[in-house]
Amino acid sequence: MLTRRHFLAATGALVSATAAGVAPSWSQGVPSGYPADYKDLVEKAVKEGAVSIYTSTDDVQGRPLIEAFKAAFPGIRVDYNDLGTNGAYNRVISESAAKQVGSDIVWTSAMDLQMVLVSKGQAETYKSPEIAHLPAWANYNDSLYATSVEPVAIMYNKSQLGALKPPQTRAELIAFLNTNKDALKGRVASFDPEKSGTGFLFFNNDARTTKDTWDLVKAFGGTDPKVYGSSGAMREKISSGEHWIAFNVIGSYAIEWAKKNSNLGVILTPDHAAAFSRVANISKGAPHPAAARIFLDFLLSQKGQTAMAGSGAPAIRTDVTEGLNIAKLNEMAGGKLKPIPVSAALLEGADPKNRAEFFQKWKQALRG
Amino acid sequence: MSLSNDAPRFRAGVILALFVMVAAPALLVIYQSVLDAPFFDDNVRFSLEAFRFVLTDPEFYRAFWTTTLYAFGMVLVAVPLGGILAFLITRTDLKGRKWLEPIVLVPMFLSSIVLAFGYTVSVGPSGFVTIAFKSIFGSAPWSIYTLPGIILIGGLSHVPTVYLYVASAMRRLPSDLEEAARTAGAGIWRVSLDVTLPMVLPALVFSAALNLLLGFETFGIPLVLGDPNGILVLTTYIYKVNTIFGAPTYQVMAAVTVFLILITLPLVFIQRRLLRHARRFAAVGGKGARTNLLKLGTTGQAIALSLIGLWLLVSVFFPVGGIVLRAFVETWGEGIKLTEQLTLANFRAVFEIPSLSRGILNTILLAGFGGAIAVAFYLLVGLAGHRNRGMSGTLLDYSVLLPRALPGLIVGLTFFWLFLFVPFLIPLRTTLISLLIAYIIVGLSYGLRIIQSTLLQVAPELEESARITGANVYRSWRDVVIPLVKPGLAGAWAMIMIVFLREYATGVYLMSSGTEVIGSLMVSLLTSGAMDQIAALSFISIALTAVGLTLALRLGAKIHD
Repeated sequence: MLTRRHFLAATGALVSATAAGVAPSWSQGVPSGYPADYKDLVEKAVKEGAVSIYTSTDDVQGRPLIEAFKAAFPGIRVDYNDLGTNGAYNRVISESAAKQVGSDIVWTSAMDLQMVLVSKGQAETYKSPEIAHLPAWANYNDSLYATSVEPVAIMYNKSQLGALKPPQTRAELIAFLNTNKDALKGRVASFDPEKSGTGFLFFNNDARTTKDTWDLVKAFGGTDPKVYGSSGAMREKISSGEHWIAFNVIGSYAIEWAKKNSNLGVILTPDHAAAFSRVANISKGAPHPAAARIFLDFLLSQKGQTAMAGSGAPAIRTDVTEGLNIAKLNEMAGGKLKPIPVSAALLEGADPKNRAEFFQKWKQALRG
Repeated sequence: MSLSNDAPRFRAGVILALFVMVAAPALLVIYQSVLDAPFFDDNVRFSLEAFRFVLTDPEFYRAFWTTTLYAFGMVLVAVPLGGILAFLITRTDLKGRKWLEPIVLVPMFLSSIVLAFGYTVSVGPSGFVTIAFKSIFGSAPWSIYTLPGIILIGGLSHVPTVYLYVASAMRRLPSDLEEAARTAGAGIWRVSLDVTLPMVLPALVFSAALNLLLGFETFGIPLVLGDPNGILVLTTYIYKVNTIFGAPTYQVMAAVTVFLILITLPLVFIQRRLLRHARRFAAVGGKGARTNLLKLGTTGQAIALSLIGLWLLVSVFFPVGGIVLRAFVETWGEGIKLTEQLTLANFRAVFEIPSLSRGILNTILLAGFGGAIAVAFYLLVGLAGHRNRGMSGTLLDYSVLLPRALPGLIVGLTFFWLFLFVPFLIPLRTTLISLLIAYIIVGLSYGLRIIQSTLLQVAPELEESARITGANVYRSWRDVVIPLVKPGLAGAWAMIMIVFLREYATGVYLMSSGTEVIGSLMVSLLTSGAMDQIAALSFISIALTAVGLTLALRLGAKIHD
């Protein structure tokens, strides 16, 4: 993506700058807050020699993190597999059934699917020494960790929207879609909950936590709606002017894109500022258990979070100054940021019956 | 002298091996479709629930109907155009037909995902062509996101398939009949309609059946162009049911695939019948056909060339131009000065990201070396079927065409499982070999067709005389057939290379860190929406294909048989 790539350069520089400082810091001893025997774990991990990651974060965005990790632990090779959310899930359960576990870390944006993996006993419990720096909702039974905070947002094309004043709140958005129904015909886009797990997560969370979700979907339905499987696809269509406005896009991406393209506008609505997280767990029977722990700790550490924040996944820690972090986002959302907690409630969204019900309502509302 | 009983063990062995390779994924799909959970689940039971779900889902019927419209619509667009093109290039004195031929085939060599992207950037609502058209005429009266738009694009991209079959039939026609008609005073239209057309009808019908088949399997174009508008076809429906339940529901995917097999097998059967007729028919014209070209005249030339030019503009320039443009800019569309956007950043990212640059290397390896291995394998199969008219010949024909009934995505998924659960295959899974085997199956029908037509060019007398002088069948193959088809094999290799370069769906489930390939990387980048890298990879894929095509022509590939 545009900004990810540009951030590559920036984070690349950052990584090489920190690399020199990081490696010795490990050899000199254990960071503060880490158990004294952590050195042994690192030694074991280096002996294992590799860590295998199944993820939905694409290679472009994940690279700064991987580079930072490799700089900190030069002896550990990273096998990075971008499989998509479904692909990662598929591979984990298939390999587990075939007794050939290939993943050490599963790290995707499908919070619900990964909670299913945890409930199926596919995750190892591990108390990360970084826990103290995370909000309480970001850790589920020491087996599933939130690693980022990514809010939903409205993204729009300034010149195409022209005289139409972009809505600043959810309530305004509904009114906006209803009033300008005809002018906006075929111009409004959003995530497709049917094809995208993230899209479902957003809309299902909306439906559970706010009262006006179905009014919004209904209003959306009146505009000859267009739905997409990724924020990147929406950015392409919004910036080309094919569509004018999109909602429930991943706001952290949109903010980075808007920095590069002055014609893109981004709004975090204070009356509805949900945020999802990329979640990570260690696989049951991971082939490199020590390296898996080291990687998870690194992912949650200030350095790992800095690398990720630099490539568009805002930090869940407040002590990260690069890019966005949870505190800054909360400020941008008028203090009303509502991250989706990593909890067993996510399983409800993964239940086929609940989903069928949701989709029935979704289709009905979309038809108007 | 009958050669069909020669080398029975070799023939039976190869055909059986091929049958196992082809039937394994199909059987796994059928087995999965009657279960209530993934087949490897501990609590799995037999159940028809997946079929019940599919058959009571209105979306399935909608997708089925759309697919039917799409497939027939595509035939209506592709067959007449392909036929006309073939007629103009093979039977008339059209100017520039020598260099037109490879260009005409270009759409066939582009993966449909790449094509569809290209179209959005050029003729989408904010595409550069659309914007230019609007600035001149005020409005642009088309939409590529509607079903007719998608059908038109799908149809245009399949013109080369029709062209290939019809042109090869036309080349075999002696021209005396046409000449006789011309001498009797018939105009060129009359000649083509009353003389040429009836004679190539079998080829036309055959390519229509083939396109119908391809229409039912189509994935890339509806995925990119139809999805945002909720236009679903069966293959994108499969994609959707995979996500709609939360966790992937393989039994439903499998059930839909079973329906696809049920739809396509009769088509394969019809194709087989037609092919038999077509072959018998073509033999009439046989050897020594000397073709005298029909004269088009100045007006004829002008009309023909502008027709072809228009088709090339729409089917080659628009999509390729779109990709090329998108690969070198970050933003495009309304109110954007493209000259200010030019950048190489998209490519820089591709070469900086280890998995992407590895993907390029792997694709070249898989296409180059893998293509050569595939040709060797197809040659074995080709020899096993060469002048073989027994029962095993029928089994061979079905084995070859069965993979056509399976979407590439499903072939990839089943091979992923086979490599995971079949003990002796396990060590191969995370190597390129697993991908190669899946690719060989996916490319089977196309590859074998090229090999078979090359083998058929060896006159039976040569083999027979070798046998009479005492050589056994293996020796006659080794010393006569293979040396004679060697140039053909080089061309076949280049063609297979292009087919492997273009493939995208098969690797989606199979590839892992270290075995990435360009096509499948594009699909996984699509799920995260990284359009910049997708465009750069598409451009690289087109460039590699161009290299492959040049190589193919240099090596004297028989694009037509």
